[in-house]
Amino acid sequence: MSHDPDDLFAPEVIADPYGYFGHLRETDPLHWNARSELWIVTRYEDLVWLVRHHELFSSAVIKSDQRPPYPPIDAEDRGLFDEVRHFRSDQLVEQDRPAHTTMREAVHEYFTPTAMESWRPFVRAAVAELLDEVAPKGRMDVLQALAAPLPVRIITHMMGVPSEDRDHLRALADKLLYINRGESYRMKPLMEGIRAMMEYVEPKVGQRAEKPENDFISVLAAAEKNGVFTRHQVLVNTALLLFAGHETTMNLICNGTLALLCHPDQWARLTADPAGTVRVATEEILRYDPPVKSTQRIAAADVERHGKQIRKGDRIRWIMAAANRDPRIFENPDRFDLSRSPNPHVSFGSGIHYCLGATLARVEGQEVFRALAERFPDLWLDTDVLEYQPSIQFRSLKSLPVAWGHGA
Amino acid sequence: MSRLLKITVDHRYCVGSAQCVNLAPGVFRHNENVQSEVFDPAGAPEAAVLKAARFCPTSAIRVEDANTGEVLFPQA
Repeated sequence: MSHDPDDLFAPEVIADPYGYFGHLRETDPLHWNARSELWIVTRYEDLVWLVRHHELFSSAVIKSDQRPPYPPIDAEDRGLFDEVRHFRSDQLVEQDRPAHTTMREAVHEYFTPTAMESWRPFVRAAVAELLDEVAPKGRMDVLQALAAPLPVRIITHMMGVPSEDRDHLRALADKLLYINRGESYRMKPLMEGIRAMMEYVEPKVGQRAEKPENDFISVLAAAEKNGVFTRHQVLVNTALLLFAGHETTMNLICNGTLALLCHPDQWARLTADPAGTVRVATEEILRYDPPVKSTQRIAAADVERHGKQIRKGDRIRWIMAAANRDPRIFENPDRFDLSRSPNPHVSFGSGIHYCLGATLARVEGQEVFRALAERFPDLWLDTDVLEYQPSIQFRSLKSLPVAWGHGA
Repeated sequence: MSRLLKITVDHRYCVGSAQCVNLAPGVFRHNENVQSEVFDPAGAPEAAVLKAARFCPTSAIRVEDANTGEVLFPQA
């Protein structure tokens, strides 16, 4: 057990980030974490200011940061870390202007709210199919039965690859989940996943460049033809789609289901009128226990804030989980209130890097919570133990057993 | 003569993604909070304005025919 108050991977911080980062928000809003050598930003207004000033705070976090990874990795994995860095440097999320503008423009059409809304019938059918499979059992692990397979189904379809490949892609996605985790051996599974993903996608990019289809790989292949992406960038960003859409949706579904079951009065509101309440409810779920707890920038200039001096090259971690509970913005911020509106949570970030998949995430969340409320109104939590992955970035339950009907 | 547009940005939803500023820089600009504002509703062709509205990741932009009040975006 660690007693260093700056240990971001301490079991109590992983279990309850709201207590730890909430305390920082109220006592030291721009906190220098000496152990991990980074600034921690927790207040809503600071976070929005920081993220919208991309000229002051660069997204090229992996590319320009020469410091060793935190927490430390196994010494023999240093070479793997360099390979991971090379891979991640080409991700869209790591780009600054002007490259970011042209790259995002090339893929943005595919992800507009209108375009993503058209996926709703497909999402609804996929949710129904997954719930049909478990319905007779009376119990399930939400993570394994619903939250993990659903995004893989959708992303497989978006990539335009056969549904037989789902299990393979899910196995790869599981390895990619080691990004930003705490285990010292994490580089090995992560790099395995990255290599296998690149091998899987490479021939498909060639095919789509020859014969475009109505899928995401074709969008990237066309952008390569137009000189916006290199082949490496196409492969890396296809892998990013799989990873980014998988982990975050898993967490949205698990964290949302947990919050609903821990607040029976709110669950009753949802089950009373699932179709009518689910949109506003999903926003509160996103605010209350967001899939992504925090992310990072690197200072591109010297900046002063709260009387402290951030130096060019400093790392800054901004905590959405803390900003979403800032009492300066949200009334009764620790209260889970499905009717909260307006709800300006920052769970999808803000500024030029605002989550590309936000609308898709919303559609997936809405369809899942609506279906659960309609089909299993007596759903209950079937465990006393909740464990989270040791990640600084993601709020990821390891499992979420629930039951209904005669399932106990 | 192209028709006159009424364009509004809802600041409860605008996150400063800059899609509209990139696509129609003659119409939209960022204010000091890095949120979009309309400074010239006739500063770009209608098609560019509608694309900007469609590309907004939070659907914060509304476009109407200024004379008839017909809503051009979002579509019903």
